[in-house]
Amino acid sequence: MRRRGATVPVTKATASEPHLPSPTQAPTRPRSGRRHRPCFVSMATGGAGPAPNITRCGKHAARGTAPRSPRSGLSPEGRWSSPGHVQICESPQSPSRRTRPPSRWACFAFGGSGLPRPRRPDRQRRAWPRALAPLREPPLDQAAAALPRSPRLRPAPSGRLSGRAKPRLPEGLPRPQPGDPKGAVAGGGSAPGRAEAWREVLPGQRAGKMAAPMELFCWSGGWGLPSVDLDSLAVLTYARFTGAPLKVHKITNPWRSPSGTLPALRTSHGEVISVPHKIITHLRKEKYNADYDLSARQGADTLAFMSLLEEKLLPVLIHTFWVDTKNYVEVTRKWYAEAMPFPLNFFLPGRMQRQYMERLQLLCGEHRPENEEELEKELYQEARECLTLLSQRLGSQKFFFGDAPASLDAFVFSYLALLLQAKLPSGKLQAHLRGLHNLCAYCTHILSLYFPWDGAGVPPPRQTPAGPETEEEPYRRRNQILSVLAGLAAMVGYALLSGIVSIQRATPARAPGTRALGMAEEDEEE
Amino acid sequence: MSLVAEAFVSQIAAAEPWPENATLYQQLKGEQILLSDNAASLAVQAFLQMCNLPIKVVCRANAEYMSPSGKVPFIHVGNQVVSELGPIVQFVKAKGHSLSDGLDEVQKAEMKAYMELVNNMLLTAELYLQWCDEATVGEITHARYGSPYPWPLNHILAYQKQWEVRRKMKAIGWGKKTLDQVLEDVDQCCQALSQRLGTQPYFFNKQPTELDALVFGHLYTILTTQLTSDELSEKVKNYSNLLAFCRRIEQHYFEDRGKDCTFLLLCIHGNF
Repeated sequence: MRRRGATVPVTKATASEPHLPSPTQAPTRPRSGRRHRPCFVSMATGGAGPAPNITRCGKHAARGTAPRSPRSGLSPEGRWSSPGHVQICESPQSPSRRTRPPSRWACFAFGGSGLPRPRRPDRQRRAWPRALAPLREPPLDQAAAALPRSPRLRPAPSGRLSGRAKPRLPEGLPRPQPGDPKGAVAGGGSAPGRAEAWREVLPGQRAGKMAAPMELFCWSGGWGLPSVDLDSLAVLTYARFTGAPLKVHKITNPWRSPSGTLPALRTSHGEVISVPHKIITHLRKEKYNADYDLSARQGADTLAFMSLLEEKLLPVLIHTFWVDTKNYVEVTRKWYAEAMPFPLNFFLPGRMQRQYMERLQLLCGEHRPENEEELEKELYQEARECLTLLSQRLGSQKFFFGDAPASLDAFVFSYLALLLQAKLPSGKLQAHLRGLHNLCAYCTHILSLYFPWDGAGVPPPRQTPAGPETEEEPYRRRNQILSVLAGLAAMVGYALLSGIVSIQRATPARAPGTRALGMAEEDEEE
Repeated sequence: MSLVAEAFVSQIAAAEPWPENATLYQQLKGEQILLSDNAASLAVQAFLQMCNLPIKVVCRANAEYMSPSGKVPFIHVGNQVVSELGPIVQFVKAKGHSLSDGLDEVQKAEMKAYMELVNNMLLTAELYLQWCDEATVGEITHARYGSPYPWPLNHILAYQKQWEVRRKMKAIGWGKKTLDQVLEDVDQCCQALSQRLGTQPYFFNKQPTELDALVFGHLYTILTTQLTSDELSEKVKNYSNLLAFCRRIEQHYFEDRGKDCTFLLLCIHGNF
């Protein structure tokens, strides 16, 4: 494919993969290199077959590679992620091939290393913005478009890389296996190794038992955020912080996820975890630990503040998005109904609302048998206090525990980002939150650093997905009409031919004669 | 309480000093009260002791129904009735007594966060153990909860309460947890508290605050309550600074205050 040809020059070589593995440098941590992998964005069609399109950007990628080359945007895997690559994808791809707008079905592969926070702050920092540059949403489209091809493409790179790839084999991993955390930890993969890993993750070859990459299914993005759901956002943010190599499937159909709910993580051993805290614990076990550097006391503080968030902010968040009528109708339900596929959008949002309302009632209702308004006022007052407390605790630091993000930051960010970014018609808490400047700055900082293309602005991504969508639309409509017409024609034809219905030509003058003729004909037919 | 009512109550509260006949109501100590309620009650008592406010403990079988919010304990002061530790702290503050005035903003934030941690983890674990663990439910909880009532009311009320608690557990995601996971959560919580306490006498150094009262209430109850198995108290016993902390508060605030308090302590010991 063109793709391949075009960008060849990607130098995988140095892979200056900003090996950002550990979150330490929080800012840099954003494995920028990985980020670029986006070229591996694949469109996962609702979980069906080709799903494995995702190319895993070798988590190995960053192993010990040099900082990304200034070319940036090149991930070690190199060529695929190069900007050039992306560009190429643009041209030929017919979005229709993909059939799904990236926003809904895109899979993002992240590379990540399992190493606890190696520090390469500066390099990564520098590389990061550059790396990000080509990663804007629009290119994703093409990238996505490109993705389905990637399997085909794969052989090519391998050919090219064969020489270099070899060194990887001795590591003992069978080829098809994507780099898994163990491999990552083994560290020091060279660029070729990385490429190998990347290559290995081909769709068909998913999973040897050991090596299957972890897959995260979560709600897709909206309102300027990478995901509209609280839990999904928290898990995604944590994954970004730690650079965990996850295949992220952003879907809008919870029935497609392996556990029936979102977010859900399918681990490399095939088991499915769907409780957000457990997902994060699993990531920690796999050595993607954002709390590695925290002292014992800070760890205790983390637990305490997470409890505070859950007790005080969560009820209000649920209330704001799901119970408050205006917000629910104009924002939440609208988004979900538009995002979900056809039959589900009629009943799922309503069902979700009922579940949330019940949850809210169980969380708070028992203490306060008074009427709705009182309850609301109290909830909001407590939430305002909680926000103020958070603001006081954050002070003027970049993250809650210094300069590197931890898991607490992931959770706090998810709560605050939802409150800040969604355009709520009745946003009482939003007003209060906007008044706390350090929290707002904190949110935008994380958004711009770790989710640059998601937060870059909703309109562009929205339009590009709309493109393929509207293109599909006429086809789909046309197909529907055609099929209906075909059916009708078949029925009418059958009716006519079998004589159930006959067409009589009524000529007034010769009516009897003609009629007789007509009837004679009918008789003949019959 | 609504905001208006709260303001009103605060006004009234501020107007009168703390009376001598303030009473605290809880369920019957010997036969009825359960682990979680006992912990809450002890926390309030500890808090009031720390503030040097006299309080008399009265046990009633229908305390739960008397309470304005359905939770025990509640205090009856003057002509007001306030339940649960949070509102009681505010009420006491309105009367001019406060333990956390000396803290700065960040410390207050931490204090609130840790109180939520205790409520979120320890209290929920206690509830889980009482109502969702079959062994405990069968042997202890049902019998105790329904003890003041005649048959069949005792069974009906017990099952009703169990159903309610189980629904709540499911809503917060604890429904699927096993006992081991719950115990592990308790362990994590104790570890967090232990690390926060460190070697200090109280959580915020020299002076006790409502956080200390709350932690004392829960930990002491867990340590001194006999359940079907000792796993819960074992988890707490792993942390020596928490044990020392409980002992310190017990000695300081409960044994010094004369007979009533000693009686109180004995009663606590005699629970279950």
